[in-house]
Amino acid sequence: MPTAEYRGMSLVVPENDSEWREYFTLARGRRLMLRACADCGLMRYPPSHGCPWCASLQWSWREVSGRGHIYSYEIVAHAIQPGFKEWTPYPVVLVELDEQRGAPTEHEAIRLIANLVTTDFRPEKEENVAIGKRARVIFQDISENFALPQFTLTDEPPVGRVWRFPG
Amino acid sequence: MGSLKDKYCIVGVGETEYSRHSGRTTRAMAVEAVKKAMADAGLGRDGVDGMMSYQGGDSTPSNWVSPDLGLRLNFFMDVVGGGSSSEALMGLAMGAIEAGMCHTVAVFRSMNGYSDFRIGGTGARAAQPVRGLDLAQVPFGMRSAGQNFAPTFMRHMYEYGTTSAQVARVRVAHSKHASQNPKALLKDRVTVEDVLGSRWIVKPLHLLDCCLETDNATCLIVTSAERARDLRRKPVHIMGVAGRVNKPRTDFHWAHGPISRVAGYHARDIVFGQAGIGPEDVDVTGSYDAFTFTTMLQLEEYGFCKKGEGGAYVASGVIELGGRRPNNTSGGHLCEGYTHGMSMVIENVRQLRGQADDYCPGGAEGKHSYDFSPGKCRQVKDARIAMNLGWAMPPTGSALILHN
Repeated sequence: MPTAEYRGMSLVVPENDSEWREYFTLARGRRLMLRACADCGLMRYPPSHGCPWCASLQWSWREVSGRGHIYSYEIVAHAIQPGFKEWTPYPVVLVELDEQRGAPTEHEAIRLIANLVTTDFRPEKEENVAIGKRARVIFQDISENFALPQFTLTDEPPVGRVWRFPG
Repeated sequence: MGSLKDKYCIVGVGETEYSRHSGRTTRAMAVEAVKKAMADAGLGRDGVDGMMSYQGGDSTPSNWVSPDLGLRLNFFMDVVGGGSSSEALMGLAMGAIEAGMCHTVAVFRSMNGYSDFRIGGTGARAAQPVRGLDLAQVPFGMRSAGQNFAPTFMRHMYEYGTTSAQVARVRVAHSKHASQNPKALLKDRVTVEDVLGSRWIVKPLHLLDCCLETDNATCLIVTSAERARDLRRKPVHIMGVAGRVNKPRTDFHWAHGPISRVAGYHARDIVFGQAGIGPEDVDVTGSYDAFTFTTMLQLEEYGFCKKGEGGAYVASGVIELGGRRPNNTSGGHLCEGYTHGMSMVIENVRQLRGQADDYCPGGAEGKHSYDFSPGKCRQVKDARIAMNLGWAMPPTGSALILHN
């Protein structure tokens, strides 16, 4: 799957891009899978070649629940990419997954960039976006073998203080 | 290796007009900026034998610029690099001279950042295919610098209670400074209300929280203190340099918190250690203002105030002309024009010479009124030590300390 088209962008994943090719194909199969180090056992994202903590080059894919909370976010009012103009205002969220929070140090976690969307893949309303709110992964199909992991709000209790930008 | 403190100097500075319609190639602009810096230093054709530049696919190489100035180089290197390269290249120029590869290095940056390869990410940049690490963010509509940095700014507000009105004071200060700068693109002073009333770009950033996009070229010339003594201007000595310093996981810095911490956290001990001074000794700062927030975050990280108190610090007036430690006295990227960091070093060199090119008759020769009302003076009286805090991204930065 060399290229997928999405919102006017060419998403290019060549055959030799072992980091991303399997990740997006696994997402198309409704599985959020991360690379886990075969030596120290820690997972990382994005799917890189070496372990950020022990530099081992041995790894395997490991499935995660896709549940977490909003660690930070932004609301894009002025889109840069033409294909996003009709989508404004849209939220971009930094989601901290439940797995491996605070490991290997207290400030580390698996965090993903995504859009916060409704279950029919429209941008979540700005007033509903806040740090601390819970979210789960939801897979947006782009092509036959490519899906984007997005996130949608759940009604679970928040993590810590709920905070929304006052502006 | 022994200390290089005070062994190298910045001896020449030059720039083209700041505009949104250069109508020229990056090569033509670079030639003008280097030529002006050589004239500023009093250097002839045999006076410069090294050249460096940085770019992101939007500039021109050193070996296209040097022939137009009749220069034969013993050393040149063009690097890929964004903001925070200005300071780091001062250190690399010192290294090239120290290694005996050459004796004097001109460092330039040239870009049609508005009329051609827009630095804000629209146009040609937005149309580029998405591959590699960009797949982790660009498919989600996160491509521009503002979109890249906003989660860091938002998290700082969450953790420390920083407000939009506080950081708006950075724009207020820099607009005040630009009103004293004939070169500045935006010379009108603005208020906090102007900033908060401007349209949203990407929350928490208003339009006036964001810097300009500009066509320009800029140049700085570095040589040994020994050679500097015989040149035209009062030498400005390099006391310390750090860069480009990274946070952990710089490929995806959001994985390593606190994300409200920026690279200055790791750079400050290097640069202050070399210089043998602390933040309280600095008279003028040039903290990279890609956005109002970036100035605030770096001042805080380098210890000009406590971590978390950057909002109150920039709102206190200390960073304005007439305050204890003015920042970006030329108006910076927010108001003077966007130069990828070079203009902030150029300005600090002029400040340390006592020759800010303001509206004072004779200002460029060092005669100043120190009247900071609009359209007058922007020279900081008796400035002795200046510091540049260069920014590329939250996890990457550089720093430079100079004295006269």
